[in-house]
Amino acid sequence: MNKLRLKFSKNGPIKFIGHLDVMRYFQKAIRRAEIDIKYSEGFSPHQVISFAQPLSVGATSDGEYMDITVNSMTSANDVMDRLNSVMNEGIEILAIEELSDSSEKAMTAAYAAKYKIRFRESLKPDFDWISEFKAYLLKETLPAMKKTKSGEKEIDMKPMIYDYSFSEEDESVTLLLSMSSASTLKPALLFDYFFKSMDKEIPANALDIHRIDIYRLCSDDGKEYIEPFITNGTNERFYLNV
Amino acid sequence: MNYNLALNDETLLSIEKPERYIGNEVNSVVKDKSKIDIRFAFCFPDVYEIGMSHLGIQILYGMFNSYEDVWCERVYSPWLDMDKVLREKNIPLFALESQDPVKNFDFLGFTIQYEMCYTNILQVLDLSGIPLFSKDRTWDDPIVIGGGPCTYNPEPITDFFDVFYIGEGETQYRHIFDLYKQAKKDGISRQEFLHILAKVPGIYVPSLYEVTYKEDGTIKAMEPVFDDVPRQIDKELCTELSDAFYPTKPVVPYIKVTQDRVVLEVMRGCIRGCRFCQAGQLYKPLREKDVEHLKKLAIESLKNTGYEEISLSSLSSSDYTQLPELLDFLIESCNSKKVNISLPSLRIDAFSLDVMSKVQDVKKSSLTFAPEAGTQRMRDVINKGLTEEDILHGSHEAFLGGWNKVKLYFMLGLPTETDEDILGIGDIANKVAVEYFETVPKEKRNGRTIDIVASTSFFVPKPFTPFQWAPMNTKEEFLDKANKTRKGIMSQLNQKHIKYNWHEADASMMEGVLARGDRRLNQVILKAYEKGCIFDAWGEYFKFDVWMECFKECGVDPFFYTTRERKDDEIFPWDILNCGVSKKFLLREWKNALAGKPSSNCRSGCLGCGAGTYGVGVCFEGK
Repeated sequence: MNKLRLKFSKNGPIKFIGHLDVMRYFQKAIRRAEIDIKYSEGFSPHQVISFAQPLSVGATSDGEYMDITVNSMTSANDVMDRLNSVMNEGIEILAIEELSDSSEKAMTAAYAAKYKIRFRESLKPDFDWISEFKAYLLKETLPAMKKTKSGEKEIDMKPMIYDYSFSEEDESVTLLLSMSSASTLKPALLFDYFFKSMDKEIPANALDIHRIDIYRLCSDDGKEYIEPFITNGTNERFYLNV
Repeated sequence: MNYNLALNDETLLSIEKPERYIGNEVNSVVKDKSKIDIRFAFCFPDVYEIGMSHLGIQILYGMFNSYEDVWCERVYSPWLDMDKVLREKNIPLFALESQDPVKNFDFLGFTIQYEMCYTNILQVLDLSGIPLFSKDRTWDDPIVIGGGPCTYNPEPITDFFDVFYIGEGETQYRHIFDLYKQAKKDGISRQEFLHILAKVPGIYVPSLYEVTYKEDGTIKAMEPVFDDVPRQIDKELCTELSDAFYPTKPVVPYIKVTQDRVVLEVMRGCIRGCRFCQAGQLYKPLREKDVEHLKKLAIESLKNTGYEEISLSSLSSSDYTQLPELLDFLIESCNSKKVNISLPSLRIDAFSLDVMSKVQDVKKSSLTFAPEAGTQRMRDVINKGLTEEDILHGSHEAFLGGWNKVKLYFMLGLPTETDEDILGIGDIANKVAVEYFETVPKEKRNGRTIDIVASTSFFVPKPFTPFQWAPMNTKEEFLDKANKTRKGIMSQLNQKHIKYNWHEADASMMEGVLARGDRRLNQVILKAYEKGCIFDAWGEYFKFDVWMECFKECGVDPFFYTTRERKDDEIFPWDILNCGVSKKFLLREWKNALAGKPSSNCRSGCLGCGAGTYGVGVCFEGK
């Protein structure tokens, strides 16, 4: 039995497919690819798959993750190739990694996510949002009300923003935001309050959100850093609190 | 993948289920437009989730796309939110694969599965910018072609269609496409092309026939306007089903649709001859597919789709002679792949219960019986060969096997029905409950009990059935009968174990008008659409009052089509078509019905219905 972690992209029209349907899509793809996937016990067995944080409908991504368990395989790369041979364009398996038995599940091990955010052409603000947003992010605290299971609670978004950078060229911002079981900051909430800070309301579906990757927390001599779920030898590390 | 969607992201994100409009599903077909001669837009005029569940489109979609010079795409009715967006933004309706406007296609085909979708057909034409009337169209518009069960009486919608294809699609489309290419090459007029099509077997071009009426409003004659156009159009039938195209790469939707599984059609047609059933007559004679062929299709389809369920499809799967062998094979190969098998339309007996217990969770699944009527007399009238003993015996076996949920289906408003027949419904339901208590002793029930759901629908007489002569009940009669049924159930000893459901009477009446309607209904349907009627098959959007208003404004009496007694020799609007069974046979069966005489089925004794002329199927079994 092997546990595998897969990194995949979600681009093009497939961005309109909701999370549950993406799960159903993969269940069928795994059957088409004839992967020897492990099924749960019981009368209606289901494939043992878990996904990282769902992406909202309309957002694209080059860094989605899922973990699967297989009974047997030739190699992890063979699993990836088989899946890619039955994928629709727009969804591609980008990388695969075998997990040790003790690895945490994708869901719980996530710590942060990186997004690139632009405005959809027809819904671009009529002001210089990049300058305004830069100023907004420099504030001491960034209070917001966040919906929770039991109602609403006040949070400070500031410590949940680990990093950011702007590109004037394509009018975008890249944000590294907290995304863990303990605290998650969605880009949409941040922009809601950014607009509110100017007594404005952001139009519905104005943001074109692209997830670049999902990160997990690691430590190196007591120094905490984050790296993509699958590093693929790139050694992309981001040290926290430095 | 087609990245160029007809709608921008903002629009798609503002509506419900954008997945309905983006195409790009697994196994959907994208071709290079520049290498295509014929573009065919295939429409199921209802919402995506319903349309995607239809086997017929999947068959013809696969077959058309297997032709190098044809690209077939899909179109469904835009849901109300999308309808609004398209009108407001003036965006023409598009096909899913190319996202190109439907108006630019060579053909627009509709599969017409139920009468209550007629206004949706007008919606699709309207949103596409295609003139609603056939007579107003030019070569700039697609040829609008209709097929499916409702085209066995297409008269109420003749104004809106250029052509109807009567019968099974496998046989004539290649020929039609070749004629189209030739017509374009020769530069003939659209009207001339329709005239050529009218000579193709199975093709009905309604504009080439003139209808005259008698003083009493019934039809005097239907005459072709040209001498070389057939006086009657014979149904097309696929004579070699095992050799015919069958899709092993059906399009797999992203979202959950009604029929979300591999559908394996095991045979076409039915031997049973229930007198109310239209499908039973339309698809005669019964033709079975070769079992080895089916095994291959099943494995390939599962492999190509990744579905986790496979369903057998036919009008009565228990009559498939190779069923045990097919099921043994499926159970064995599906179990290892963790694929579920779904078995609709099986007669409940020891064999089917044994199979069901292998493929279903007995505790969760329910048994379904369709006695259709409450007394043996009534069941003899409708020729439903299911006796009370069959039901109780089947229930007994099932209760022993652990089942405790039973669904019973009945019809109200059948010809010659009396109060006794209506009260018989409660009676049967009660007897099933009694059977449970007698079969399963208290100590073995483990806190479970019997759970019966009895449902009634209102009977709508359909063309090409023995009941095509039958008067239909009024809405008031229907509701009165539903009330009697309910009271009948309430008076039973075990009434608290029986739940009763009944249908809307308004919609049944409308269905009745349209089912046996004639050309005078075209104007009513158009008016209803203009007044906002759409998605009439959806209870919450069906506007009965608006429809009634339209009848009044058009001076058309809806009851002419429903409650009127029809004489034996009346010329029906659908007599222009020949569905393979003779009117003489249907009349004989109607008389047998009125006399309460059941008839044999195709295997126990040939009734000489006329379907034998096709030279295939059950008519020649053992010969």
